[in-house]
Amino acid sequence: MLDVSDLTLSYGSGEPVLEGADLRVEPGQFVSLVGPSGSGKSSLLRAIIGLQQPSAGKVTLGVERPELGMLFQDDALLPWRTALDNVALGLRIRGKPRPRSRAEAEGWLGRLGLAGFGQRFPRALSGGQRKRVALAQVLALEPRLLLMDEPFASLDAIVRHRITQDLLDLVEGKKISVLLVTHDLEEALVLSDVVYLLGQGPRARIRQRYVIPIPRPRDIMKARTNPSFAPLLERLWHDLSAEVGMLRRAA
Amino acid sequence: MSRQRLGLALRRFAALAVVLGLWEALVRFGVLNPFYMPAPSKIGETLFALFADGDIWTHVEATFGAALLGLLLGVVVGAALGTAAALLPRVGEILDPAMTVMNAVPRIILAPLFVIWFGIGIASKIAVTFVLIAVLFFFAVYSGIKEVDQRLVDRVRTLGGGRAVLLQEVYLPAVTAWALSHLKIAVGFAFTGAVVGEFVASSRGLGYLLSFAQSTYNAALTMALLLVIVVFVFVLFGLAARLEKRLLRWR
Repeated sequence: MLDVSDLTLSYGSGEPVLEGADLRVEPGQFVSLVGPSGSGKSSLLRAIIGLQQPSAGKVTLGVERPELGMLFQDDALLPWRTALDNVALGLRIRGKPRPRSRAEAEGWLGRLGLAGFGQRFPRALSGGQRKRVALAQVLALEPRLLLMDEPFASLDAIVRHRITQDLLDLVEGKKISVLLVTHDLEEALVLSDVVYLLGQGPRARIRQRYVIPIPRPRDIMKARTNPSFAPLLERLWHDLSAEVGMLRRAA
Repeated sequence: MSRQRLGLALRRFAALAVVLGLWEALVRFGVLNPFYMPAPSKIGETLFALFADGDIWTHVEATFGAALLGLLLGVVVGAALGTAAALLPRVGEILDPAMTVMNAVPRIILAPLFVIWFGIGIASKIAVTFVLIAVLFFFAVYSGIKEVDQRLVDRVRTLGGGRAVLLQEVYLPAVTAWALSHLKIAVGFAFTGAVVGEFVASSRGLGYLLSFAQSTYNAALTMALLLVIVVFVFVLFGLAARLEKRLLRWR
């Protein structure tokens, strides 16, 4: 689905932020990438979608471009379009006629718990609802691989919990492969099949790969009570602390 | 209208009546010299006389015609130049400083020059109005395009949108919003341009009447004309505000 091999990224001619990264997402897998700030997590996603040229290594996509969906933390909806038209926008860009795009968009709003909110402008929606619209906009294009960069970081805990569960249900149901960038270790464990840990930048490297054996479909509250959760979290936390600590000693 | 708002309107109306009554009394009792400060009743009489013989309409028509034509021309040309400057760097590098200089100059001082160039007819009034509005709209559209939310551009691109979609879905609505928020200012500018143009040299128009009233030391006529201009500008203001509200209901 996605194969990143020996990838090095740098800004201009400066020191690489990320070096020699290897990462794979198998079909239907939910993969997370965690790491401290400045480890080049977001740059890696930008390189995958082609917004940034790698200075070495390569990215192999197992899907066509239109099958790639993206959701970022600071995604914005068109303020002059209703929720419904925002969701329908991608479909219309793909050449579907307006009535059909709208009908499909309506369905996606319903699936994300926003039935009846279609005629509202983004301004009249809460932060969580706007995120749901953005999610509907991306999912309506039926991506086979979804890239996300801390998409729900700005939401408060309860809203975030609900939207994350809804996303997980849809992703599991439609067998969408996911690569999620986050700095929330618990979120990564609860959602993922595989978690990669990036070291401290510059010249960050992928330090560890953890396999998370929690069965699917998952409930994100119950997943925390799985016997493998606590030890994994402790290991992940320990490894991440060691990374950050190394930097401190070096300084 | 709710009780509260009705009460407020009544109190405001009463305050206005008190001021006018006081003014009237001060003139009647000889405190104010009616040569400089004619009583409200005298201004009312003059106003009535102006409309009673119907002469005023040709002047209203002349001023309105010049203001609206100049407004239209200024909006179209200003918007076109602004678009060109924002999208074509070669045009922008010339127009940006040129317009900045034009913006710093009180452009109304060009009025005498336009009378020499275009004569005392409507053309010189249109020119004054045009030059006021075109520079205003140049900057409205230029900044509207330049300061478009980059996240929206990225979002539409990642959904697969090309130049045409970007123009239609992002740039055009963004610029419309900017332009509309400048429309009320532009209406004021349009009348300033037309009236001042008539002031300088003309044979018709409210500015011409105003200059006539001033040269004959007719304070009542001057005040009556000021009132007429204010009312017309207010009506246009109201129309512009309604247009803005309708088209920008997403705000």
